[in-house]
Amino acid sequence: MSESKIERLVSMINQIALNMSANGDDQMVADQVAQHLEKFWSPPMKNLITEQPSDADLGLSPIAQIAVQNLLVMQDAKQV
Amino acid sequence: MLEFYEPQADYGTPESTSTELVTLSIDGVEVTVPEGTSVMRAAAESGVKIPRLCATDQLKSFGSCRVCLVEIEGRRGFPASCTTTVEAGMEVKTQSDEIGKLRRNVMELYISDHPLDCLTCPTNGDCELQDTAGELGLRSVRYGFEGENHLVAEKDESNPYFTFDPSKCIVCSRCVRACEEVQGTFALTIDGRGFESKVSASQAEDFMDSECVSCGACVNACPTATLTEKSIIEVGKPEHSVTTTCAYCGVGCSFKAEMKGNQMVRMTPYKDGKANEGHACVKGRFAFGYATHKDRITVPMIRDSIDDPWKEVSWEEAVTYTAKRFKDIQSQYGRTSIGAISSSRCTNEEVYLVQKMVRAGFGNNNIDTCARVCHSPTGFGLKTTLGESAGTQTFASVADADVVVVMGANPTEAHPVFGSRLKRRLREGAKLIVIDPRKIELVSSPHITADYHLPVRPGTNVTILNALAHVVVNEGLEARDYIEERCDVPEFEKWLAFIGDQRHSPENTESITGVPAADLRAAARLYATGGNGAIFYGLGVTEHSQGSTAVMGIANLAMLTGNIGRDGVGVNPLRGQNNVQGSCDMGSFPHELPGYRHISDSATRELFEGEWGVSLDSEPGLRIPNMFDAALDGDFKGLYCQGEDIAQSDPNTQHVEAALRSIECLVVQDIFLNETAKFAHVFLPGASFLEKDGTFTNAERRISRVRKAMPPLSGKADWEGTMALANALGCEMNYSHPSEIMDEIARLTPTFNGVSYDKLEQLGSIQWPCNDNTPEGTPIMHIDEFVRGKGFFAMTEYVPTTERANRKFPLLLTTGRILSQYNVGAQTRRTDNSEWHGEDLLEIHPHDAEERGINHGDWVGINSRVGDTVLRADVTERVKPGVVYTTFHHPVSGANVITTDNSDWATNCPEYKVTAVQLSKVTEPSNWQARQKSFDKQQQGLLQQGLLQDARS
Repeated sequence: MSESKIERLVSMINQIALNMSANGDDQMVADQVAQHLEKFWSPPMKNLITEQPSDADLGLSPIAQIAVQNLLVMQDAKQV
Repeated sequence: MLEFYEPQADYGTPESTSTELVTLSIDGVEVTVPEGTSVMRAAAESGVKIPRLCATDQLKSFGSCRVCLVEIEGRRGFPASCTTTVEAGMEVKTQSDEIGKLRRNVMELYISDHPLDCLTCPTNGDCELQDTAGELGLRSVRYGFEGENHLVAEKDESNPYFTFDPSKCIVCSRCVRACEEVQGTFALTIDGRGFESKVSASQAEDFMDSECVSCGACVNACPTATLTEKSIIEVGKPEHSVTTTCAYCGVGCSFKAEMKGNQMVRMTPYKDGKANEGHACVKGRFAFGYATHKDRITVPMIRDSIDDPWKEVSWEEAVTYTAKRFKDIQSQYGRTSIGAISSSRCTNEEVYLVQKMVRAGFGNNNIDTCARVCHSPTGFGLKTTLGESAGTQTFASVADADVVVVMGANPTEAHPVFGSRLKRRLREGAKLIVIDPRKIELVSSPHITADYHLPVRPGTNVTILNALAHVVVNEGLEARDYIEERCDVPEFEKWLAFIGDQRHSPENTESITGVPAADLRAAARLYATGGNGAIFYGLGVTEHSQGSTAVMGIANLAMLTGNIGRDGVGVNPLRGQNNVQGSCDMGSFPHELPGYRHISDSATRELFEGEWGVSLDSEPGLRIPNMFDAALDGDFKGLYCQGEDIAQSDPNTQHVEAALRSIECLVVQDIFLNETAKFAHVFLPGASFLEKDGTFTNAERRISRVRKAMPPLSGKADWEGTMALANALGCEMNYSHPSEIMDEIARLTPTFNGVSYDKLEQLGSIQWPCNDNTPEGTPIMHIDEFVRGKGFFAMTEYVPTTERANRKFPLLLTTGRILSQYNVGAQTRRTDNSEWHGEDLLEIHPHDAEERGINHGDWVGINSRVGDTVLRADVTERVKPGVVYTTFHHPVSGANVITTDNSDWATNCPEYKVTAVQLSKVTEPSNWQARQKSFDKQQQGLLQQGLLQDARS
């Protein structure tokens, strides 16, 4: 697991969150970002970002951070 | 469908579109035709051919040759049937002794100044002058041939594809009028008067030095051997033809591939082709020589390492070898360690099979297509706002447009046949708004001047679109009734609050976009109030880090002004390659099955699982850039790449090359050893479009037949190659003809339910959706309601790219295409089209050039944050200060060595259109170019070594 790999994903999520920023309040945007990741990202990419320690400072924007948490919830829900 | 060679039917004058009918009598037979029809056409439609020379149904009637004279009861003299329109009750006589005598007199004059070398003439048997002399029974010429004449006039052979022999010219002006009316270039004229009259290219120049764009319209129109294809001069008349679809751009022109046995003689634009209606461009019409070029590789090859010579093998050995390596990789690195890239140059059926092999054979969804790097934002943006990932109109619908917006597209270069259609409408008076950093041809060309050219700073399209929408809203110009009836009103209200904010006003965005506020306001008013507004856009919109946002901005603007859902309006993505639309339709994206249905949708998945007899992965696979990243990370080890040259076409070449080098088994299926194949371990020989059956889908969603004109040189069409590989992998496929693949697509895809080869034969072409609701297809989409139900106004926040100019990289590089070359140039570089464009040039404004001491033609080093290359300078005012521009048709140019990894936020479409660069005058190629040259030499050597070894054994 290289650092640049994580950095790349973080930068992509931040970019998605920024471009969706006008879509609504932070929670709504975070939900939409999570749905976007769920819809378009491959499992290894999703797993890599959701498996990071929750207290790790990855450089995610606040909305992106919530989005990743939401994505984790979505992934957990699929396991059930 | 083989057809014996026959010139296409010609009714003499264009069809009238009037709905009023007129009945008259021609040679005693009652005929009913639309009002406005010429007597000549009415006669032709009733089966009577009136002799003619200056008339053809591709051009307005002209009335100069005086051969088509007729008698009309109650009228004096002998009116020309081409310029006389029908009237109710008219009684026309097309033959009489007197008419015959008059016509022969005219012919005598023509023939007295014509070389009588019919037996050795290249158009012997295919010449309207010869036919007409025969029809009129001309037996002698009373004037002799000794008088002053043009028989020694010198031939112009400068054009690589056709000759101009003025000794055979009858000065009928058909070529001149074709250049004006059909092509819209106005390169030809009649110079001089009376006996001195002659056809002249530009200012009496050679064709090659003139403004001629070599579209071939003049050659089609010529009724004699004056303008003749060199291929006809060399090999003679074709003996049969096959109707097929061009394999170049997304216009999808229909052609007659005219053959002598298996030898291609000529491509003639098909008049019944609905995308092109008898017109063509220099690529489709003439640049087919690549199909039989000596560089074609027609035998499968394998090698263990890219440093080994290639070894020629049988198809069976090649696919068995590939299957074993792919299986070994999957067992060592996992199921998702391999994937494929399908091609927008291949047929729908071939693309469908590649994605089927990946999903059903590889057991994953690692399938992507080159649309990733061009129009993936169109798919995302239009699906989000309108509900379908496709353009809304027919090309013909532009004839009803009143205001045309061309944004980030250059139709006269990249989609020339549509460009000609558009020019025709503009000459008729439609208004034009061009949004482009460059002064493209449409901004100012003969008889066309854009009403507004908004020279947007690269990377600020979203700001421009927001500002245009802001003006419409701010000035109360929106189509309220339309929005209330057709769109999601609560979402619209939210969007209204967003777009109404003063930060979007033209005055506040002027410093971002570089576009004067007054021009932008005026353009917005014109689009909103000028009648039918049609938007045509290209890669200058999509290939940005905000490409998807810009597409949604375009859709917003069209909905806001009520400009979707009828003729003459709409949102029209101009697709770069011939089958971009089709490759997307066929499920080439890693998250979607055919028909744009998400892979996570269990009902859709079950449908395919039932048909294919396998269980499908419900998670999206890797996109192309993800594949490269995963390869560099060691997670992605096997790739099957069909008909694409990712090493040349994808951004940040050094990154791509490093990724390709780290792949353990790279399989390339192509007609040439392209740049990507130099990194490959297996080469499967591809088939050109002339060697296979199938369908392409153009930018209008028009599905057209591709028909085999010659057998595949490698023994297999591409779909057969994929099928062999799939079977070797244990993914059973047993199609005997592509029509069976289309039947499967139709069974599984609601928008294709009604499509079949039989129906395509019957209708010629079909625009999807085609199903029980629309059995003959859907020319215009979203007529009564949007596919998604209510139109959705998406928020379009402008997020500037991180790729910005600064002191170190003060200029913005943007890239594009030119008329004579196509995409990575693999095809057109192997034709005489290179006479027009032998190398990629760097366009630079005189101010920027002067500041750096750069002169026209100098070698210029171009440095970006990711790499550097060297190109020759073209100092021009086509670009504005601060912006430089180049094309990417030649691998040695390394245009993508300098483009970055930045990509669209939603789709990862690369940001080709914005790269911050610095320039300096240099004297030698870049290090990358030197390495590329050496690598190319090594790989060509390994190819030759392999071929020699195989020849010895």
